[in-house]
Amino acid sequence: MEELKRRNRFIELSSKLWKNYSIVVVFFVILLICGIAAPRFLRPNNLLNILRNTSIVGIIAIGMTFVIIAGGIDLSSGATLATSGAALIALQKLVTEAGDPAMPLIIPIVVCLTISTGIGFANGIIITKAKLPPFIVTLAVGIIARSVVMYFCRGATIMGNRIPTFTNIGNGSVFSIPIPFIVAILLAVILHVILTRSKFGTYVFAVGGNENAARYSGIKVDRIKIITYMLVGFCTGVAAVIEMSRMAAVAATSSGMQYEFEAITAVIVGGTSLNGGKGRLVGTIVGFIILGIVNNMMIMLNISPYLSGAVKGAVILFAVLLQRRDR
Amino acid sequence: MIEENGETMSKLLKMQGICKSFYGVEVLHGVDFEVEKGEIRALCGENGAGKSTLMKVLSGIHEQEGGEVIYNGEQIKPTADPLEVQSHGISMIHQELNLFDDLTVAQNIFLCREPRKANGLIDFGKMYRESVRLLERLGEKIDPRTPVRELKIAQKQMVEIAKAISFNVELLVMDEPTAVLTGKETEIMFNLMRNLSEDGIAIIYISHRLKEITDVCHTVTVLRDGSYIDTKNVAEVTEKDIATLMVGREVHHSSIGDFSGDEEDVILEVKGVTDNMLNDVNFSVRRGEIICFSGLVGAGRTELMEVVFGIRHPEKGEVLLEGKPVSVKSAIDAIRCDIGLVTEDRKDTGLVLCRDITENSNYVFWRKTPGFFRNAKKTKSNTDGMIDRLNIRCAGAQQDVANLSGGNQQKVALAKWLISDAKVLILDEPTRGVDVGARQEIYQIIRELAESGMAIVIVSSDMQEVMNISQRVVVMHEGRKTGELKCSQMNEEKIMYLATNV
Repeated sequence: MEELKRRNRFIELSSKLWKNYSIVVVFFVILLICGIAAPRFLRPNNLLNILRNTSIVGIIAIGMTFVIIAGGIDLSSGATLATSGAALIALQKLVTEAGDPAMPLIIPIVVCLTISTGIGFANGIIITKAKLPPFIVTLAVGIIARSVVMYFCRGATIMGNRIPTFTNIGNGSVFSIPIPFIVAILLAVILHVILTRSKFGTYVFAVGGNENAARYSGIKVDRIKIITYMLVGFCTGVAAVIEMSRMAAVAATSSGMQYEFEAITAVIVGGTSLNGGKGRLVGTIVGFIILGIVNNMMIMLNISPYLSGAVKGAVILFAVLLQRRDR
Repeated sequence: MIEENGETMSKLLKMQGICKSFYGVEVLHGVDFEVEKGEIRALCGENGAGKSTLMKVLSGIHEQEGGEVIYNGEQIKPTADPLEVQSHGISMIHQELNLFDDLTVAQNIFLCREPRKANGLIDFGKMYRESVRLLERLGEKIDPRTPVRELKIAQKQMVEIAKAISFNVELLVMDEPTAVLTGKETEIMFNLMRNLSEDGIAIIYISHRLKEITDVCHTVTVLRDGSYIDTKNVAEVTEKDIATLMVGREVHHSSIGDFSGDEEDVILEVKGVTDNMLNDVNFSVRRGEIICFSGLVGAGRTELMEVVFGIRHPEKGEVLLEGKPVSVKSAIDAIRCDIGLVTEDRKDTGLVLCRDITENSNYVFWRKTPGFFRNAKKTKSNTDGMIDRLNIRCAGAQQDVANLSGGNQQKVALAKWLISDAKVLILDEPTRGVDVGARQEIYQIIRELAESGMAIVIVSSDMQEVMNISQRVVVMHEGRKTGELKCSQMNEEKIMYLATNV
């Protein structure tokens, strides 16, 4: 009997492990396949480059994971990145031309984060107070934000000041690890602890799983939802700082274009359910790295960039198929 | 069981040694089950005994893991899907209605099998004629062009049955079909079942209402904890015998007696609650007292409880807690006042089904305790304590609530309020969809809670339950309180008299 119990527990544990971390196994299989298909792929420089490039979408995806677990979605992220990024670049130009190059950088960054978090707050308030579907609200807010950037930049590109203190944020490395990736991992670790260990994290799952039951348990459903939208807004602001610092420029028409879809893709590939109530940040990290690898391999293998959508679509379908057994 | 060759020939269905596991836990341990042509067989057992699982294996929803199913002398493949099973002549009517509200009666009956004309378009004329014929067989005169949304629940049930028998059915499985029906509607359905049985259709009937089983069934099979227990002729057993077989112990019915605590120690008092559904309702409950709200559907009992819990905002009325007026404008206000509510519909408002037992039982505790992080140690001891105290049958505290049986889900919904030390606990239909054994366990828990000083308010439509558990009953009729009876004054006629206000 005891033996049987132990065996059952083993089966349960291993099936649970596979259920939760199948994506990690798939990740290593992808690494292996890529290494065989293009040996250059495995060079450290290339790998670090992938991490640097994919971290911007990755940071948005980390925030997006919270929104999706709570049963929402944010389609305004790309435009939010452009809006808050434009403010950042414009202010950076102003303060650096004014004198002391290092210190005042903090002001544009704070403004950038405030704007992006503010847009998230607006999304959350409209969704909860007007009781409108998140899909529509964030789509509309995104369109408005994009239009504001276009007007602000006159539809063109605004250049910032290419001073090293600024450009190093996105282009620098610490112990040869790209700073954007360090930022992404730091954020992910902090938010992972919050998601899995804090009351707030548990409520996010509860709200996504059954809003009514959450409300009857005394959880302030609206507040939880608004915070998740503010969180993805904040993460998008962080991503904006990095994106802007890499180019020291903002392009009204293309900055952050389609980043929301890339981020949602990373979250889904990472195994978070679009129905809400289930998900994990570890998956999202693996998810955005896989997306980075796919982008990189397209170049390595000389595949037309026009086909990248086809490949990414296939990746989404494959990932969802793989995880279908979870439900 | 007699094992003769001649006997096995007349069997319509023979299930042998059926095994099924979920998440490494075996829930059916080699169950044997046989049904003859034209027989009405009751399938009984506590929640979690494996009735629904066994029937889902039969109807192809769950894949069987051991044993074999022989139907009409032919083996049904273990991998058969529901459609394949249906083509053999086995139909199942599930507990919840599976109809499309916006489609017509005929469209629902012939969904995916619509008769076609030569040009490939749907032959609506034929579809309507066939539907009328099927419904007439059930003694039902519904226009097949009516959208299902406009039907009464009993009529919807008839459409489900019409759909089921439209597949040239020989074996019909009905999972608690009367849960939503009134007494008269139930009687009509029983006549229908008898007619179908005379036509040679075998029926497997799952129900928690033992009275119904003795009324309509020929034989009864009892399952307990995933094992076959016994099959009896209904004529030879009493309801009590069946209940005893189900729980494996004697079931006692006895009333609890009048409230014996301090009459003046009122915890909750509700005064003059009035809105469009309620009319000047007053009541109070004392520390350690158990009161029941009785009445017919639509009497406003659930609405009254929603007012107390802050979910519903009345035009007039006040709530007093230990003599002091309190403002209860939301669930969180109620929780701050130590008022708990176990809701009527645990799937909709009681539990987050996709999360585990630990989370579901601690939400309110976390809301009431300060701090950003959940206290892992306290959370664990809370949960383990509840699993132990309430006897929640599960694979572990990490098991998703969705995978628990109804009775055990109800215990988790209850645990949420016990962990957070509610002073007043409101239970709306606490034993709906809960079997006899778990029901007794829940009554026992309620009694213990009252003894420990909690004030208990129960809304119940089950007269037996009201008689069993309450020290005082408050009866309502159409939003108005029509009377109060102490345990010693209570009988079923008096309550019914007040509930119907005649």
